Amino acid sequence: MTIELQRPVGDPIVLDDPGRHSFRVDRRAYTDEDVAARELTRIFDRCWLYVGHESEVPGPGSYVARDVGGRPVVMARGSDGVIRVFANSCTHRGALICSQPAGQVRSFRCPYHDWTFSNQGDLVGVPIPDGYGPGFRKADFGLARHRSDTYRGFVFVTFDPQQPLTLTEYLAGATEYLDLVDDQSEAGMEVIRGAQLHGAQANWKLMMENSVDIYHFRALHKRYVTYMESLGSVPPRRRGGFGRALGLGHGANELPPAAARPLAYWTPMFGAEVRPRIEATAARFVDRFGPERAQRITGTNRALLVFPNLMIIDAIAITIRKIDPVGAGRMAITSVALAPRDEDPDIRELRKSHYLTFLGPAGFATPDDIEIIESCQRGYLNRTVRYSDLSRGMNKEVPETTDELPAREFWRQWDRLMHGDDGHHVEAAHPGGAHGTGPR
Amino acid sequence: MTIELSVDEAAQVRLWHRVSQFLFREARLLDEWRLREWYDEMLTDDVRYAVPATDVRDGTTDALGLVDDDAARLRQRIEQLLNDEVWCENPRSRTNRMIGNVEILADRGTHLDVAANVVVHRFGHGRSDAYVGKYRFELVVAGESFRVRRRVVVLDHETLYEHGKLSIIL
Repeated sequence: MTIELQRPVGDPIVLDDPGRHSFRVDRRAYTDEDVAARELTRIFDRCWLYVGHESEVPGPGSYVARDVGGRPVVMARGSDGVIRVFANSCTHRGALICSQPAGQVRSFRCPYHDWTFSNQGDLVGVPIPDGYGPGFRKADFGLARHRSDTYRGFVFVTFDPQQPLTLTEYLAGATEYLDLVDDQSEAGMEVIRGAQLHGAQANWKLMMENSVDIYHFRALHKRYVTYMESLGSVPPRRRGGFGRALGLGHGANELPPAAARPLAYWTPMFGAEVRPRIEATAARFVDRFGPERAQRITGTNRALLVFPNLMIIDAIAITIRKIDPVGAGRMAITSVALAPRDEDPDIRELRKSHYLTFLGPAGFATPDDIEIIESCQRGYLNRTVRYSDLSRGMNKEVPETTDELPAREFWRQWDRLMHGDDGHHVEAAHPGGAHGTGPR
Repeated sequence: MTIELSVDEAAQVRLWHRVSQFLFREARLLDEWRLREWYDEMLTDDVRYAVPATDVRDGTTDALGLVDDDAARLRQRIEQLLNDEVWCENPRSRTNRMIGNVEILADRGTHLDVAANVVVHRFGHGRSDAYVGKYRFELVVAGESFRVRRRVVVLDHETLYEHGKLSIIL
């Protein structure tokens, strides 16, 4: 217990000292259940959170049921075509009104007492209604609707009716990167069926950090590097590119591809047969967007962190990774692939194939990420080592992708929200973010 | 009392026995990390090893799964696992594959469709996990034995939340 006595509750967790190029995080942030409980109220109850992609609810009545910020919700497209997000809980006694993960319905029926709600959330059926007095009005018992909005196909929700920012304001500089993803198809992007549902016995923030950490790539992922070398792609030790802080906790890395990109960047690993098609696509992007922006869309990799718990990694394939805390020491991970709706079938197969090679719980890289963050979590059991260091690149004007700028942006926003400063109000006045937006 | 088998039944029992022995040997080679031997002796050159997603189990090919290896990528997977560059399998997991309910679904002369239930217990890095699923094999008849041409493991788990990863070959 002496260790605990050395750590008064009010001790700062994030120690940010730009003058000394020092940035440290107290490892209580990853291990303390009180911190985890506070994150739910200070962060997940307030921020805009990613729910899903509009392509997951393509037609009237289609829905998905999932947990967001620890709460069961239903994202449904009503018969009127509008996408809404509801609390997945009957307004009568609380049972889940939707126990299938996905489907298409005209109405949701609670299995407990058969209360029935339209796919627009209205209570439309109550068995044996004479059990209620004249003051009972169905209109008072519609499904609880959360405030939701969509940016370029990405649907977000906030559980805070007082959230002062619109979704677009909240996304700040991250919109630039969502645009680069959604611009990849004129027909629209779609989530490919088949989710990779897994997790880790580690704090959720470790996966957020890992997902914007390029520094570890050649060390931890030697086997993937070996695999790429066997296919004729040799990633350099210094990848080039740069990291960016996008404001409000969002960050990104942008860097030259280490391998092919199925949209429009061919390398020999894709085989000669599809080369003309891929190069024709690249030419169409030049026509649509001009050479500079086309190159950025088609010929550049990026990893985008949207605070607090969304990652979009656009490289050998596009993955949308939603990371949910489960107490201090566990997390749930949902990963899906995003692709152009009108993609050539052969190229779609290449995309899926190479997605699986790198990503997911059985890929040649992600399992090592899972294991290493679980290793970090176990390492924190030795509380003598109090801090983790995230200072790489603080000595540079433009941090590289092997630096830790996006992670610092995440932590700075985390610290503001956890300690009561309303980061949302503060940052709204500076849409570029308080810590610079890097190049471009 | 002895049970008289008809000629047909006796042939079926022999075939079932040979198939079961084949699956048990495969399980043993995988448990003993004799992965190159497994690859060289028990698989066809055009083998496919797949683990579908836990939320799409209807066999549709347009969905993204967890594993979809052709022979070349499976070979890569094996070489990686054996050369100690795989952090999450170094030290190597201890595994124990329990196979049951072996059933020959169809005998097509040159090849067989075989189903079995499997539990793969995996221990490593302080964790213990059990992967529960169904094997769907296409076995090509090769003399008195077989080779695997298609090897699909349909997991029964709703998610791999508990496991986190699937770093072994199921």
